[in-house]
Amino acid sequence: MFNPFEDFKDFLSKAKNLPLDRLAAAHDQIMGDLAAGYGKLVEQELKSLVWFVEHNRVIEAYKTATEVIKEVSYDAHSIEDFCYVLDSGTDIPYLISGPAGIYIAALCNNADEDAIVLRLGEMKRTLHFLGYRLPYGKSLRVEGDAGNFTGSALQGGEVTVTGSTGDWAGAGMTEGKISIHKHCGRNTGEWMQGGEIWVGSRIRGLGRVASGQIYQAGEPVGPA
Amino acid sequence: MNDNRERPEQSEDLEEMLQRLWPEVRRRHLYPELPLPRFDKSGSPVGMEIRNKQIILNVDYIEAMAQLLPVETILEALLDHGVSHYTCCPWDLATHLRLYARAKKILGDNDLARTAADLFMDVVADTHAVRERQSSLPQLYRSGARTPLEEVIFSLYEEIWGVDLGGKRNQDAVKRLVAIPYLDKRRWLASLTRFIRGIRPLLEETKSSSPDEQTRMGRHGFQQYAPEEIEQALREFARDADSPEEFAEVLEYLQNELESPCDKSGEDMGHGAGSPVEANRLYYMKLAENYALPLRKMPLKDSGHLHPHSHRPWEVCQPFQDLDPWSSFGKYLPGITQIWERREGLIYGKKEKTPNCLVIIDSSGSMVDPRSQLSYAVLGGGCAADAYLRHDASVAVYNFSDAPAGGREYLSFTRSRPLIYKVLCRYFGGGTALDVDEVTSVALEDDPDIFLITDMQITNLDQTVSRFSRLKNRVTAVHVGKKSGALRFIKASVKNKNISVFGVNDTNDIPRIVLGSVRNYLALE
Repeated sequence: MFNPFEDFKDFLSKAKNLPLDRLAAAHDQIMGDLAAGYGKLVEQELKSLVWFVEHNRVIEAYKTATEVIKEVSYDAHSIEDFCYVLDSGTDIPYLISGPAGIYIAALCNNADEDAIVLRLGEMKRTLHFLGYRLPYGKSLRVEGDAGNFTGSALQGGEVTVTGSTGDWAGAGMTEGKISIHKHCGRNTGEWMQGGEIWVGSRIRGLGRVASGQIYQAGEPVGPA
Repeated sequence: MNDNRERPEQSEDLEEMLQRLWPEVRRRHLYPELPLPRFDKSGSPVGMEIRNKQIILNVDYIEAMAQLLPVETILEALLDHGVSHYTCCPWDLATHLRLYARAKKILGDNDLARTAADLFMDVVADTHAVRERQSSLPQLYRSGARTPLEEVIFSLYEEIWGVDLGGKRNQDAVKRLVAIPYLDKRRWLASLTRFIRGIRPLLEETKSSSPDEQTRMGRHGFQQYAPEEIEQALREFARDADSPEEFAEVLEYLQNELESPCDKSGEDMGHGAGSPVEANRLYYMKLAENYALPLRKMPLKDSGHLHPHSHRPWEVCQPFQDLDPWSSFGKYLPGITQIWERREGLIYGKKEKTPNCLVIIDSSGSMVDPRSQLSYAVLGGGCAADAYLRHDASVAVYNFSDAPAGGREYLSFTRSRPLIYKVLCRYFGGGTALDVDEVTSVALEDDPDIFLITDMQITNLDQTVSRFSRLKNRVTAVHVGKKSGALRFIKASVKNKNISVFGVNDTNDIPRIVLGSVRNYLALE
């Protein structure tokens, strides 16, 4: 009997295995691992319904974040993609800006690459704590806006934000450089111990700066 | 030159080769329903284009590439590329529009968005052809001069296909692009977003340095689709678009791309909708087509009374009393003399018919402007109008804001869908008052069903409710949002069996509306 599908028989097993299959699967695996790590951090942190920014709590959260990412293998581009996963709200339904930002900061600080570029211009929300504790020898460039506490507790690294930042930029930084191409918010440089903050345009308010230097449009404006 | 490299000196040779290769290419691609490709001389460095499903191969390009590759390989590669666009990505116009709209949303610029969407579709189609159809595309890409954009895309191919295309390794530029799941259709929009993020600096640089640059596979115009696809695509895209403005932008782009815009001013498929307002009308027309509201017909029955209806020739055996001497030239002759044909009239009864409908739509300042955001009022009114039109009834539209002060537009009963939507999409944006006398006079004319859609923030709401409760027409009142007036209206109309009240807070509520539904279906008998 004539088989009308005979012509198609030899097509069934001819699909090639391309490196793309492996690369895409590995990327999905990394996103899954990063999401699981973030889930652990949130579980740890969300003992109360509202997450307050308190000094000890931030330190604890960062410590937990550093612990949970130890076993995750990732690169700088994965961090950027994970920021969008957080922002989409589909794969991870609970984006809490504080812990999320600290988690991203921990990922940046522990990445193999020294220069990290995060293109976050298309994100619907901004992340806080980007560049938190960025160590000496590392640079983080954020293309887009960043939230509060950008570059806080900076430890010698170099943070560049091509857009604007929220309040408390560079709070408690000890050394390093923060460049904000547009505006920044209130309490800029609060308890800053050293380093430099360069702001391209308006500074909404300076914090109590202990040491270091703040520049606005190239002119020094702080400490007063 | 190598002996086995042919030179297509005579176009007949190419034709013969194409006739021989095309069945094989179709076979490899599982017999897509595509016409036989043809050749053309465009003088451009682009290898092919697709028009109305037909692949058009550029002889100039083939001749140039024949210096480097066997013609058969070039033809196969070009055909694989073209067929993959049809069988894989973008697959149809609706997907193409979605991809373009996403790119436009991210990049903001028409040209950049088009280039980004085109490149993405090329990567997907080529990868599909190489992975699933054993295409000779890598051989084609290994040869010939490259543009900067092609350098990057071919570097990407080297990474994701695992082949050497002999170009400059550009790993840094493609690092963000390599792990995108190009062949996962469900994730194309997210993949395109990632793709654009990775390639955006290059796109912007290319636009400023050489704005007319394009890859050897050319640009993907909308001419490649059959005209029948446009209507379906617009319907789907209206459902997916975030706002009427996004729809209007993409529609404008689509119109510019289509070769011969129809000048019927939105009569069909929407080619003629040039201004944003026209685009809005088309947006709501297409969006409403996605919802089919159920319509309960009005029970009508025979009246039992006969009335003269039409003439027919008189025969000798028929009675004299129905003769019409005025139409019979004064003669009493069989076949010439006319006799009245009597028919029974219709009244409300058991036989169901669809009455006409008067759509009353509120376009006051408290309602959403349909041009900037999705207006549930316009969409709901459009769905209602469509439901009546589908049942061969006519629709009148009364669009009001502050009607007594002149803020109203009335369209009398018609079956013209574009006209109905034109009046529905009109936005006054003023105060809210209904000219109850005017509406009542229309309602009494022909006993149409009344479909009222408003946020119930009507100044003379009590008067409106009281007048509606005295009408015998079936009234479907739809309130948009939850405002205090809605509760007052619901309370006031509880006792009136001819009034049904529904609420619309999002598009999912629209299919729940049953037009002409009344609490007591036979209340009027």
